[in-house]
Amino acid sequence: MTSAQLFYVINLLIYAGVDIVACLGLSQQFGVAGVTNFAFIIFQAAGAYTAAILSLPSQAANGGFQSYIGGWNLPWPVPWIAAAIVGGLVALPFTFLVGRRLRGDFAAVGLLVTAVMANLLVTDYRPLLNGAAGLSLVPAPLQGEYNPLSQSYQWVYAAVALVLAAAVFWLVQRVTESPYGRSLRAMRDNDLVADSLGKNLVSMRAAMLVLGGALAGLSGAILVGFINLWAPSAWGYAETIVLFAAVIIGGAGNHRGAVLGAILVPVGFEEATRYISGPPGLVDDLQWVAIGLLIVIFLWFRPQGVLPERRRLIGAGPPPVKPLDMPNDLVMMPGSPRAADATSHDGLAGSAAGRPITRSVPSGAQPDGGVVLRAVDVTRDFGGVHAVAGVSIEVRRGTLTGLIGPNGAGKSTLLAMLAGTLPVTSGQVIYAGADVTGVPAYRRARLGLVRTFQLASEFKRLTVMENLLSAVPVNRGDSLAGALRGRRYWRRDEEAAIARARDLLDRFGLSGYADTYAGDLSGGQRRLTEIMRALMAEPAMLLLDEPMAGVHPRLARQIGAQLLGLCAEGMTILMVEHELAIMDEFCDPVIVMAEGAVLASGTMASLRSRAEVVEAYLVG
Amino acid sequence: MSLFLASFGFGLVTAAVLAIAAVGFTMQFAVTDVLNLAYGAVMIASAFVAYALNQAGVDVWIGLLAAAVAGAAGSVLLNQGIYTPFQRRASASGIRAPITMVIVSLGMMLIIEFGLQAIVGGTNVSYTMSQGPTVKADGLVLTTVQLVIIGLSVVIMAGVHVLLRYTKLGKAMRATAANRSLARNCGIRTARIVTLTWALTGALCGIAGTVFAINNGSFGATSTDLFLVVILAAVFLGGPGQAYGAMAGALVIGLATEISAAYINPSYKYVIAFAVLLIVMAVRPGGVLGATA
Amino acid sequence: MMTIRRTRRSARTTRPRTARRAAAGLVAAGLAAAGLAACSSSSSSSAAAGGTAAASGSSLVVADLAPFSGPDAALGPTYLVSCDGATQAIDNAGGVLGHKLTCKGVDTRGDPADAVPATRQMFATTPNLALVIGCTSDEAASVVPVINADKMVSFCMTGQSEFDSTHFQYFYRLVPPDLAESYAMIAIAQQLGYKRIALAFGNDIGSQTFIQPAIASINKAGLTLAANETLDLNASTFRTEADKIVAAHPDVILTEALGPTDATFLSEVKQLNGGKMIPVIGTSADISPDWYKSVAAAIGASTVASSFHADNLVTETSGPSYTPFYNAIMAEKGKVGSTGNFATYLTAPGAVHLYDGINLAALAMIEAKSTTPSVYAPYIIKIGDGTAGAVVVHSFAEGAAALKAGKAIRYEGPGGPTSFDSYHDSPGIFQIDTYSASGAVQVAGNISTAQLRAVS
Repeated sequence: MTSAQLFYVINLLIYAGVDIVACLGLSQQFGVAGVTNFAFIIFQAAGAYTAAILSLPSQAANGGFQSYIGGWNLPWPVPWIAAAIVGGLVALPFTFLVGRRLRGDFAAVGLLVTAVMANLLVTDYRPLLNGAAGLSLVPAPLQGEYNPLSQSYQWVYAAVALVLAAAVFWLVQRVTESPYGRSLRAMRDNDLVADSLGKNLVSMRAAMLVLGGALAGLSGAILVGFINLWAPSAWGYAETIVLFAAVIIGGAGNHRGAVLGAILVPVGFEEATRYISGPPGLVDDLQWVAIGLLIVIFLWFRPQGVLPERRRLIGAGPPPVKPLDMPNDLVMMPGSPRAADATSHDGLAGSAAGRPITRSVPSGAQPDGGVVLRAVDVTRDFGGVHAVAGVSIEVRRGTLTGLIGPNGAGKSTLLAMLAGTLPVTSGQVIYAGADVTGVPAYRRARLGLVRTFQLASEFKRLTVMENLLSAVPVNRGDSLAGALRGRRYWRRDEEAAIARARDLLDRFGLSGYADTYAGDLSGGQRRLTEIMRALMAEPAMLLLDEPMAGVHPRLARQIGAQLLGLCAEGMTILMVEHELAIMDEFCDPVIVMAEGAVLASGTMASLRSRAEVVEAYLVG
Repeated sequence: MSLFLASFGFGLVTAAVLAIAAVGFTMQFAVTDVLNLAYGAVMIASAFVAYALNQAGVDVWIGLLAAAVAGAAGSVLLNQGIYTPFQRRASASGIRAPITMVIVSLGMMLIIEFGLQAIVGGTNVSYTMSQGPTVKADGLVLTTVQLVIIGLSVVIMAGVHVLLRYTKLGKAMRATAANRSLARNCGIRTARIVTLTWALTGALCGIAGTVFAINNGSFGATSTDLFLVVILAAVFLGGPGQAYGAMAGALVIGLATEISAAYINPSYKYVIAFAVLLIVMAVRPGGVLGATA
Repeated sequence: MMTIRRTRRSARTTRPRTARRAAAGLVAAGLAAAGLAACSSSSSSSAAAGGTAAASGSSLVVADLAPFSGPDAALGPTYLVSCDGATQAIDNAGGVLGHKLTCKGVDTRGDPADAVPATRQMFATTPNLALVIGCTSDEAASVVPVINADKMVSFCMTGQSEFDSTHFQYFYRLVPPDLAESYAMIAIAQQLGYKRIALAFGNDIGSQTFIQPAIASINKAGLTLAANETLDLNASTFRTEADKIVAAHPDVILTEALGPTDATFLSEVKQLNGGKMIPVIGTSADISPDWYKSVAAAIGASTVASSFHADNLVTETSGPSYTPFYNAIMAEKGKVGSTGNFATYLTAPGAVHLYDGINLAALAMIEAKSTTPSVYAPYIIKIGDGTAGAVVVHSFAEGAAALKAGKAIRYEGPGGPTSFDSYHDSPGIFQIDTYSASGAVQVAGNISTAQLRAVS
């Protein structure tokens, strides 16, 4: 190979390193956490500018024809470290765009607009970063000691870039293959449900923005150290699209896919087009058309990318070939739900594997005379329509309370307000004697008030086991700091949780499906998964929204029996259901709602004898 | 004062172009729940259809009609061929669609815009037309063509208003936008309404693109890149999916950008639009006229 | 109490092993790279791409390293016309040391992050590379160090001040620094008797650099700065900017804003000024077929003819240097480029300067009897500045013949006589250009060095 060809190869290796770091940052944000950051390129630019202004000498010393802030001539590696820090800091103000209030696509568009605006501001406000011309003559790392244009220096540079890429890969893997990573993926799959299970969405998204931003900033620093020039033309919003294409094509949700995508698209594809000659500008135009086509084609034919996200096997046996439709095969084991003690788990002597499912109501709260949940005059308006009008109910500990009513009576709305997924228009919600009306859903979940959803709400791209594990309220690995500290730090909590989950799976008869994607299960199996998941959250009180919907009657009875068993141990359950037979057999008391208000409550037998209830609901 | 009046006049022109574009965009979102980021690309492609006719000797105002047809056809193709299949698949698998749709629409933007540039080249072109005599009124300075554009925009807004309020089609569109399944249950053929809506809004898109190009003096395949952001600002200010909101938003944004340019450095005039967009998203994502949360 | 009968495997999660393998792979690649570094450090610490002479009979390549896409997409193809013209003329006169010259376009895409790999790829895939031309302000600051380190001669088109006083042994510049162009524009304004000056420059690299020197020059010349508006090249209308300028009642507008911007902006100025155009002074970048085409379409060819001046380096428009240049460029008509009036390529950016640069390099190769840049480079200055008793030649053919006859030569091309300073910059003298009603470029006057110095 000639020397010139070697230089070219080195160039490609360095660019590969830069793009891999950037794509891993994006993969972590988008592929794992579901944060669609169309302003991603700003963070790379911020890092590059930071590295540049920290390593450049002062304006005057640099000839005086560039105007920029900074210019402190700091030695390597300070500029690179600062670049990563600044990249992360710049991400902080963006967190307001990714709160739960804003739809995913609105937030994405807002970020895209921000990228355009940032580019415009930097271009037009010259004193800041030298405007359109950008910062040139940026010193390469250690250029006083070595010749940056020599081949050996560049080999070392490439080596450093690739080693950093490997380190970043190790880092994001560590974060993703942890309980925290699982929570991120749950948030990605269904953020509303993750919220109801106690995950703090805003803090997770903010953390991902900062982490991705820091990685992007680092990639910018590596790049600017090599090309010694950084101008607005290098970071248009279109560059973000290229990185997204890379992650989508490579495989969103799989970091190896991100590495592959980085090599294929920004490096491979863009370099390959240099070898195609044609009328001026045409090749470049067609390259953009090709990127657009690749995005659309991949999203249609292979949205999982070349390297799809891999199933996490938690070693609970081989999954069945296809999901079974009839739940007759499922035999639920009777008995109390309390998990076994330590002796039944191999090699886990003394572990906290045997945790009870039911949590006692939070201590310190004022006792409410046996009432766990109380709604006081709760109302919910939707643009003039009273979905729920002045409802007051009480749910006592240890009861399996039913909530019935015709369609549109407001049952699900009431449930949502009790759980916190919907705010009340007026009224109060009192849980365990404390007013939780203003408390967000995820915090109520952490206090032990957990709900399920009417429509299928399992995390489809997580296995059944992962679905269950995601609901565990306390796991040392379920935070960014915990994930970074590594497996050894959270292993015991994880193993304890797995043991509990296995018990539940056994109990509800789904052990063989532990490693199946929840999205592949039948309707009844999904319902069970959801109930199990809710139980993993160690609730003190469960709010179940039509748990038996679409479930075979025999299975429904089994579920009912299980729920009664839980109540016997002290759990409190409020269940919305349509099936009157279930109400008859399991629920006492039963509350009847119609047209947004409580009509009556009592045992089913007494309700059946009341004329207005019969009229409203029980006709036929 | 005269600078203020002059910039007020320019603001009206910008608002006029913006209104036609924003109403089309927001109505596409209303019936399909898709933020069609390829809208700007369809705009400028239609403008080039008018240009091709113009080069062949056709008057640009007739070319405007051709552009409307081209925009309608292109938009219907875009929705039927790309967006609807993706949405159908997303709803079948239960995965929420919005982010995929945004990325798909970005991909389509790249394909249309750079496909167009591959065909017409990178040099900028102008319509062969006269701008007409300038009308002055106490600082307000507008050419005849600009007045025609304002007039055209007013007529179109009135037409949209009549359509939505007084025609059966309009009511069907509003019903489909509000709740598609309910509308279907009421007997409205929602699929047909959606297609018709995209055809109408596509025509608006084509008209907006041509008028944009006329107003610019000189345009190329990537001219609408920045303008799309201004459209988004107007749409979100008025509330995505609200046609009247888009009209109001266009007026506010059009005036705000041009009047601000008179007093601050004009390079930053679009920053006003961006800032409005971000603030609205942060504080009241439903828009000023839209529903809360 | 539930008892578990089945024995259970340990509840540890299986570590994704392949992920560790992938990370290991990257580390291995990195270490391999470091290892290669250690191995190669002894052999070639600073590799020269231009180190080997071309095989006899093969073609030498002149690379046009410039934007062929992006906002400045017009530049690359424009330079290519000069390149093709110059090399064809050289080939017709017998080539260089038995080699023919050909041109190759290398697209930098107009941004530095793409330009560096483009340059590396160029070196890697062009074994017979003999010369690089082009390198505009968009990418020069990142690629010139690379080209220079590879000991390749380059004739660049950037006026950036970075190159006014930085030593690059293989870098040559025949275009004036941006500073000088700003001064020239003010000198023109002075000559034409204008007192109130408005500035309207685009917000891109090449245009932004004119503003500060122009303001300093206005002050020095005792003229008045009436308005200073920056035009955002991405925006689609500039009415407010135009109105502000019109309201300031300037005598003249100085402008460079490429792409559609000048066309749109100037047409709006004309409208807002009641249909009457304010006089405009542009830069040498405005003397280009593309600029003329879009501006003439927007404000009318006659308006351009009557209201527009631009500074440009003095170039011959007749005489012994001009004729071979004219013939060389026009011979390319129909073969390359073309945006309407092909004759505009005669005065397009880079036209004379790159033609001259190629000729200088070619003659230097002949005198040095080598196509290796490290050998022939010193002869460029020798031939460009001339030595005592050198014969003045006006074209490659003439120069080649004179060298064959053993004479020392000085090359004076259509760009005028060169005078390289210690940084290999040859600033040149300025003239005033205008467009005729048919779009042809005419010279309307000159700026003497004294006039220029008075306003710098």
